[in-house]
Order: sequence, then structure tokens, then C-alpha cells
Amino acid sequence: MSKSSYLKPATIALHTGYEPESDFGSRAVPIYQTTSYQFENASRAASMYNLEQGGHIYSRISNPTVGVLEQRLAALEGGSGAVCTASGMSALFAIFITLCSSGDHIVASEQLYGSTGTLLGHTLKRLGIACDFVHINDPDAIKAAIKPNTKLVFCESISNPGMQVANLPMIGKIANENGLPLVVDATFATPVLHRPFDHGANIIMHSITKWIGGHGAAIGGVIIDGGNFDWGASGRFPELTEPYAPYHGLRFWEEYGPAAFIMKVRAESMCDLGAALSPQNAFLILQGVETLELRMEKHVRNARGLRDWLLEQENVKWVRHPELDAEDFVGELFPKGAGAMVCFGVEGGREGGVAFIQNVQIATHLANVGDSRTLVLHPGSTTHFRLDKEALAAARITEDMIRVSIGLEDLDDIKTDFAKGIKAASRVAR
Amino acid sequence: MEITLNTDKIHISTGGKAFDPALPTVLFLHGSGGDHRTFAEQTRWFAYHGFSVLAPDFPGHSLSGGEALKSIEETGPWLRDLLEEVGVKRVHVAGHSQGSLSAFELARIAPGTVKTLTVIASAAAIPVNQALIDTALKSSDKAAQMMCNWGFGPGAHMGQSAVPGMQPIAISRSIMSRNPLAVDLQACADYNAGADIAESFDIPALCILASEDKMTPLKAGKALASSLKAKTVIVENYGHMLPLEAPKQTLSAMADFIQSQETKG
Repeated sequence: MSKSSYLKPATIALHTGYEPESDFGSRAVPIYQTTSYQFENASRAASMYNLEQGGHIYSRISNPTVGVLEQRLAALEGGSGAVCTASGMSALFAIFITLCSSGDHIVASEQLYGSTGTLLGHTLKRLGIACDFVHINDPDAIKAAIKPNTKLVFCESISNPGMQVANLPMIGKIANENGLPLVVDATFATPVLHRPFDHGANIIMHSITKWIGGHGAAIGGVIIDGGNFDWGASGRFPELTEPYAPYHGLRFWEEYGPAAFIMKVRAESMCDLGAALSPQNAFLILQGVETLELRMEKHVRNARGLRDWLLEQENVKWVRHPELDAEDFVGELFPKGAGAMVCFGVEGGREGGVAFIQNVQIATHLANVGDSRTLVLHPGSTTHFRLDKEALAAARITEDMIRVSIGLEDLDDIKTDFAKGIKAASRVAR
Repeated sequence: MEITLNTDKIHISTGGKAFDPALPTVLFLHGSGGDHRTFAEQTRWFAYHGFSVLAPDFPGHSLSGGEALKSIEETGPWLRDLLEEVGVKRVHVAGHSQGSLSAFELARIAPGTVKTLTVIASAAAIPVNQALIDTALKSSDKAAQMMCNWGFGPGAHMGQSAVPGMQPIAISRSIMSRNPLAVDLQACADYNAGADIAESFDIPALCILASEDKMTPLKAGKALASSLKAKTVIVENYGHMLPLEAPKQTLSAMADFIQSQETKG
């Protein structure tokens, strides 16, 4: 059962947050394509601005269509609340800027999506927020990296594209023992396959552009508060426990408790930074949410099938998938399967990789994952091109690596397509 | 704000504004396993509309120290002492569920202190299933889950929230699971003075009741309202957790009642 409802995930995905509205009985969630909302009266307007009462004011801050998506995703993850953002990257930035100020520090996994690594290692550094990257499954490395000014520990539940599964219970325990929240990018798993709040996470974000939306049609992100971190006891977060000047000295922790973090995200990041998800995109992503459980079952089935087939191919040098040579905790964290991504190496190095990508037809070469269609990418020359050699090695990215996001096509057709690409790569190698 | 009462550090939410004893004061009393945040959508409004607000966490709950009070009878003197400590002689009292039983006790031992009484989703007695108390003794989280399942109405279970993006059920469960729920439930189960106190009540009263209340059913709430000779507002399609589920309706009824009584003096 969800922590937010007696409904089960498949039902939450279809019903939570919306019942047919009274005027026209629209069964689908309507698109509230509006910038703003008429105030009932001047008094209510003032009280909404002062956070005395909830409600929609302006679509940069909240919107009814986006709100339905937020309710569903919060309920699916079992969180106390959610805020959707314009993209996964803006979700990450909102999390970091909510918790960190100049002079603060983050401990992060060395295996991250390329732009996330750049945000943490370069962009936030310009704002005076430092980051140390560690092997996230090494408890001693995490402990050694934590400083008095550290504000959070961050990792991806399944790393992109390294396929490393983070041992969340171990990482969360170390983080919490040091008064720090564990923030998890759970994009590669979705709440259908993995529920990070049940395993030690305190804040989750997703790029909902990926499997949650699932159709490659809309960009979006979400931040979900677990409501399971004691910001007061930590003593590290005056941003949440001390008076906040823009709202007349409001103390988020005192006022909202388990929803303190997510309320601050909305009150500060959405108000002041404004990376809002559009209602059109929320609608498109909601269509994906409604079938998420069904789609993930097939994504996982196809991924396992392709993985096993690749392992049998003579001209495939190596295959990486979270369930291969996995530690015991992987099965415990991902009882329904560890996602729908596979990486493998072809013969011929970088040129072989390029040949593979140019000779597949069904699989599409592009910079996305989690589409209903199978996608392939050469990370070393695209998503992770900004990383230096050391960072590439730490992220387990090699020149011959092909990253595959397995889609919902017939598995036999995917195999046939890949056979052509592998053959082309091996021709280059000879 | 924080005060020390009987050596315990007690947290009192003042709705985001400094407490001013010169203003008319509304005292908010939370229910079993809850805390001042039950009233997050009401306290701030009152604090910014001409009132002072006191919303304490009872001892052992959330931000307050000390041990939970084991009986409803003990909460009366505790509230009297709290009001003395902050220098308030008369208050409008609003109690949710168990909090309204504490309000009865305050009115009983300190008549004249209670200017008006607002009962939110409650009854003269709140019998509690022994199985729930036993569950709470073993696992606050499991009991909190059961409480939230029963306590919230159908809309909340379908993801309705007055505050965009929030999950009131998950928030309540998180608070309840950390608080001494078993002690509170036992205190409710043991308390049987409510009906007599209500019968002798001569203070202006308002009962805000929920049509889908499974914890303190509407029938019992109406009986209490009759004893109190209270004005009654029934909020349709909502459950027991009215201040969180239907914050706007709860605030509207409270504000109309308390402001009108304040005008009358």
C-alpha cells in the first residue's frame, strides 16, 4: 500500500489526483492552459500569497494539470509531496539550491549522468558550492568525504550509463547518521520497479521525460519529498529551520514538518527561479504514467532478453546490465527487475561503435532514454563528451561502449536489427 | 515559541507571528498522535487576521519534550498552566478529535478561561478499538497507517489536496508514526467525562463535523453538538481529518464563528 492512499500503484497511476470535474465530467485530466487563476476575493488572495491557505495563484508556481501529475508521482513513491519542473536537470538544480548555499558541500557518486556531473563539478562550483565525487558503494569513501559543511549525499539508483546499482540502505544510513539527507535520482528505475524511500532515500527526483512519460514526447522533472528526514534534529539546515525573510520569518520545518523541504522548493525555486512544467507537457506525461506499470513489465522483459542474446554474440566484447554479476542487495532493491538499460562493447573501439550506430535501423540514435522505442547512443562522444579521461574511467565509460535503452518493439526485431550493427562493427575491426 | 512547563521544553506554534497576549487568542489542540501542523492551514490565517495563536505540541509530541500525558484529565491542568505561563486569561479553544476532549477538561477545571469552543470532528467520547491500541504499542507506524486509512475520507485517498502537490495522508502518517500514539489512544479510550461536561456547558460552541467520519461518526458528533447547544457545520464528503482534508471549509467555519463571537465581546 502506498503511504498516501489505500490504492495500489496501478490504480494510483490512473486515478490519483483527479476525479471527473463537475461542469463537464471530463474523464481525462483536462489541460488547464492558463497562466493564472481568478481570486475569490482580496482577502483570500492575500492569504494565499502569505502561505496561510493553499491554492493556485500563477502557473509558474502551480497548475491544476501539473498538480494531478504531482499527486500521482508523490503517491507512487510514497512521499509527502511533489513538485514538477521543466526538466530533470531543473529538478536537480532546485534540490541543490534549496539545501545548499555558497560555502556548502555535496558528496556525490562518481558515476552520474554527464550533465549532472557538470552541474555538480562546475556550475555549482561557480556559485561556491563544492562537490566531492566518491565511489558511492564504498562506505569508507563516503564517510571520509563528509565535512562539517556537507549538506547532502547524492547518487543515481542505477547510474547512467555505468549501470552501477547504489546500495541505498548503506548509503542512507551513513548519510542520516551524519545528519544528511540522501538524495536519489531514480530515473532509471521508476517507482514501479524500485521505491527508494523504502530503502533509505529522503528525497527522490526523476527525469519524467524518460520511462514515466515514456513516449519521447515531453521534457519534465519531478522532486518528491520523503517526509522522512528530521531537518530540525540535523542542525545543518538553517534554510529550513530558521526564519525565512521572504515569508515574514516563516520557519518551514516548524510550519510544515514532513513537507518542509518540498514546500520550500515550491515557495522559493518555483517562485524565484521559475523552471515550471507546462500543463501541455504534464498532460502528455500523465498519459505515460497511466500505463507505466504495464510498459515497465515489457521494458524489463525485452531488456533481459536482449541482454541474454548479446551475451551469446561472438562479436560483442562485453555486456553490462545491473543484474549481471550483481551483489545480493540488487535483487532486494529491484524485485521486479533492474530497469531497461543495457550497455555493451563492440569490436573496433570507437570506430566500431560508430559503425554499429550507423547500421541499425529500428534502434534510433539519439540523446534520450526511456522512450517506447529502442534508443542507442555512444556516450563517449555525446552525453559524456565533456568529461576528461579520468572522469570517463570513473563513470565506467569506454570508447567502445554502446548504451541501449530497450523499447517495446518485438524482441526478435530488435535482435535482428542489432545483429546488423554488430556485424558492421566487426567489419571495421577487421 | 518555546516555553518551559514542569521542566519540559514545550513548543507552541504561534502561526508565524510573534505571540501578543494583548490580542484575542485562539488555542488550537491537536488530536491523537498529531501536532500543531494539523492546523497549518488555519493557524497562520488567524495570526495574520487580528488574533494571537497558540498551537502547542502536547508533551512528548513532535517538537515538545517530556513524556506524553497519560490521561485526558491530566491535559486540563497542563493547559491551564500553559496559559498562565504565557499570560493569557481567556481564549477561544479549537480542538480536533482528542484535542476537543482536552478542551472539555480545560473548561471544567478553569471555567471562565474558555471564551468559545470549536469542536472539530469529535464526540463526547472517543472509544478506541483495543486492537488498534495493541498495534500502536507494537508499531506506531502500522497504527498510524491504520489511523490514516480510517481517518481520511475518500477524497484524500484519491489524492485530493488543498495545497498543490501535497499528500495529506503521507504527512499525517509521518507525524503520527513518530509520536506516542498508543498513549493518546489509551487516554481517549479511558475518558468518559465528556458527556457530563458537555451537558453542563454554557459557552458559545461550534461543531464542525464530517459526513464520512469513521473515527468519531457523524451521529456521535451531532449528539455532542446537541448537548453543547452548538452551532453545527457538516462538511460533506470528508473524513475525520478535517483540518487537513478540508482546510478551507474548516477555516471558513472557524473564522465566521470566532470573529462573530469576538465582535459580540
